[in-house]
Amino acid sequence: MNEQPMTHDDALDLLALYVLGALAPSDEAAVREHLATCALAHPELEQLGGVVPALLADVDLVEPPAALRDRIMAAARADLVARGGPTATDQAAVEPQPPASAAPAEAPRPFPSVADREARRAARTRRLDWALRIAAIIAIVVVGAGGLLLQRQLDGSQRFDRAVAAVLDAAARPGARAVILAPSEGMQGRGLAAVASDGTVTLAMRDLPATGGTQVYTAWVIVGSTPTSLADFTVDSNGIAAVTTHPAPTQPGAIIALTLEPNAGNAAPKGTIVSTGVTPAAPPAATS
Amino acid sequence: MNEGQNGLRGRTVSAADDADRAVLALVTDGQLDALQDLYDRYRTMAYSIALRITTDPSLAEDVVQDAFLGVWRNASRYVEGRGSVKTWLLSIVHHRAVDAVRRRRPTTALPEREDTPPMSLTLPDIWQEVAGNLDRDEIASALRSLTDVQREAIELAYWGGLTQQEIAARTGAPLGTVKSRVRLGLLALRRSLLGSDEGPGDTVVEDGPA
Repeated sequence: MNEQPMTHDDALDLLALYVLGALAPSDEAAVREHLATCALAHPELEQLGGVVPALLADVDLVEPPAALRDRIMAAARADLVARGGPTATDQAAVEPQPPASAAPAEAPRPFPSVADREARRAARTRRLDWALRIAAIIAIVVVGAGGLLLQRQLDGSQRFDRAVAAVLDAAARPGARAVILAPSEGMQGRGLAAVASDGTVTLAMRDLPATGGTQVYTAWVIVGSTPTSLADFTVDSNGIAAVTTHPAPTQPGAIIALTLEPNAGNAAPKGTIVSTGVTPAAPPAATS
Repeated sequence: MNEGQNGLRGRTVSAADDADRAVLALVTDGQLDALQDLYDRYRTMAYSIALRITTDPSLAEDVVQDAFLGVWRNASRYVEGRGSVKTWLLSIVHHRAVDAVRRRRPTTALPEREDTPPMSLTLPDIWQEVAGNLDRDEIASALRSLTDVQREAIELAYWGGLTQQEIAARTGAPLGTVKSRVRLGLLALRRSLLGSDEGPGDTVVEDGPA
């Protein structure tokens, strides 16, 4: 609000409201700026601020619904999978292997050669598949119970969590396969996909740069070296995409890829490869 | 209620916090079991805080989920020595709940505070020092040592998520009065919780000299 920096006395005067988080944004910024730059001591900051956590005890204790634990754990598990990390159920089974995430030194390559690099990842994806199925069962129960929540405007991370729940749902259907989409060299977009038995792909992506102008993201399935466009979509500043495509021919080993295209409707990719993953072989018929 | 109390309680709290820090280290490591452990320790407090601020059970659930996922993703940001894990975690819940109610209230200017840690994250807290196992009775009794207007101002700020200007508008008090009510109220709370007579005595003068 003021061009002038806040004086020491003015800042002191506002510290109590500051530690309670009750200043208007411009005042809060001015106090923060003062504290960061002022050479004088501010003993009241600790005196007043130290009291605030004690206020947290001033609540009637209410147990949360039991389903909340399942929902949080399912979301955390999905987050772990999306990060490409091991899941708790997966860890015991993982044999030592070179770090799959070691940054490939080469520049981005055309589509077919990505398969080489992704081959190792495919093995890991198969193992993850089992964990995904468990997560999916939890997620379905939880999503079914949370109808009210869906009506609310969700922020970015919650939107991603919902998108992941949709993927897990799709991945749990008979004949479906789960695919981890990892960012290409120098890219950030990552996420999960489920490829249904009819080739419909359900995607949950995050960290995608927003599209602008005529730009779109295009999802592709690449069988052999032939890309087929699945869907075009745009992304806003939250970087989240939840997309379900139309069915397309696919097979184990097919690559699911995301490119950033200069325009919609391209029959073959023209833009940058953002993220890729390999469709694993059919899931094990039963877990023994 | 004797001199030994603080020391004893301090040790109890410190043992609990050591355990919390060990669990948090596992959370940083991506251990789902550890997250569930942390959730089970604090779910009741977390949900109760979110519910008091949002007054909406469904929104409170979202806030708690959001806070625990935030902890899941950012456990490494906890800084030892800046307060207990409990305070850190519950402050995140408080912070997100206030954000959620402010977002619902279009009249409040929304600061860009997504990445701004709650103030209490960067402050040593007397929770550990004094109030580690503080229960509602103790804080309620300390709150009774405040004048009605001081208590009202603090509650509107902390539990209502209102700003100084909004509290002034709600209570009809000038901005400067809101400021001194909050300040004197917090100082009185501190005296009451510490059970010491540091600073002026029990008599807190409404709108006294700053």
